[in-house]
Amino acid sequence: MRCHEAKTLLEREGKGGDLFIEDEALARHLAVCSRCSQAMKAFRLSSELLGALREEIEPGPSFYPRLRERLATSGVGEAGVIFFQAWGLARRLVPALALGVLLLAGVTVPLGGFRSPLPVQVGQTTEFHVFSLEELNLPAAVERPTQDQMLAFVLMETEGRGARPEAPGERSGK
Amino acid sequence: MNDKEKNHEPAEESGEQLQTEARLIQQAKEGDQRAFEALLKLHDRRVFVLIGSFIRRRQDVEDLAQDVFLKAYLALGGFRPGAPFAPWLKRIAVNTCYDHLRKIRRRPEMALDDLAVSEKMYLAAGGGSDDRVAARDLAERVLATLPPKDRLAITLREVQGLEIAEIAHALGCTRPAAKVRLFRARRAMQATLQRLIRQEEQMGNRSRRREQNEVS
Repeated sequence: MRCHEAKTLLEREGKGGDLFIEDEALARHLAVCSRCSQAMKAFRLSSELLGALREEIEPGPSFYPRLRERLATSGVGEAGVIFFQAWGLARRLVPALALGVLLLAGVTVPLGGFRSPLPVQVGQTTEFHVFSLEELNLPAAVERPTQDQMLAFVLMETEGRGARPEAPGERSGK
Repeated sequence: MNDKEKNHEPAEESGEQLQTEARLIQQAKEGDQRAFEALLKLHDRRVFVLIGSFIRRRQDVEDLAQDVFLKAYLALGGFRPGAPFAPWLKRIAVNTCYDHLRKIRRRPEMALDDLAVSEKMYLAAGGGSDDRVAARDLAERVLATLPPKDRLAITLREVQGLEIAEIAHALGCTRPAAKVRLFRARRAMQATLQRLIRQEEQMGNRSRRREQNEVS
């Protein structure tokens, strides 16, 4: 057996596999190779040492009285608890709100601001978009029109599309 | 040994116990410190065992457990009702242990001369000795050579019996990364032990030769 083969067997044993020390070829190799023999001891020792860390420990008699004192001096009364409850809630809400704002911005900004991207259906046949005041080209002095006024304006525009008034200087084709 | 035995955890918490736990959590959230203490007494042994696998001195274990319970009390407001309490508390304990391991000075190299006599004897016996104190001291010394995250990974796996996913969650990394840490920690620990064994054997051979020379 060669060193790398022995090492493979030892590593498999180290991972909780079968015990290969019974393997005759391995035993012969370990008897003559001090390096592999040391590696085997290290494998065994490693699991024994980690096993030794598994120890049952219980709190001593002074543990809870000391904890009571610390809780009392930590200044956490009923108000503190309410604060930490609110803080806990806020910690969960803030990322959710931030995500919501980001998503909203992600949807609306590429479409040119916060204009509604969805068409509004009026009646059964007329389809138009809700426009901003600038797009409707209303004078700034004019008060913000009501929704009905805007709708009437847009319907007028839509109907007038077929018979557009002549611009000054434009010759009529009639 | 299966994972549940390794964890020292009860097979399953009864419905009655869960109800008691939920009631105690609610009372503790309302500021009842007695209820909180009663809640801790249901879980304190697990926390002590977990911390004890990282820290040797009993007083340090108690100090760290105090920190864990204080943190748990302060964070109880954010605890989701109906969620299991034990894993939540365990996560706080693991984080506290990690913070502690980061604070203590790491010794990347260790030689045979650094060991106490009892530890050398344990090493010479190839681990066959019943001296658990020496074994714990030696284990602590060897693990102190590892980076904190690697130490956390190997202890959580080999001592606490946690699954890779749980270790990854505790370390804040992916499963493959946790596996790599675990592999690296095992390798490093074995390399350190192998070096110590080699030094011990060389020293033994030297002293044997000296004795033979003296006799002849």
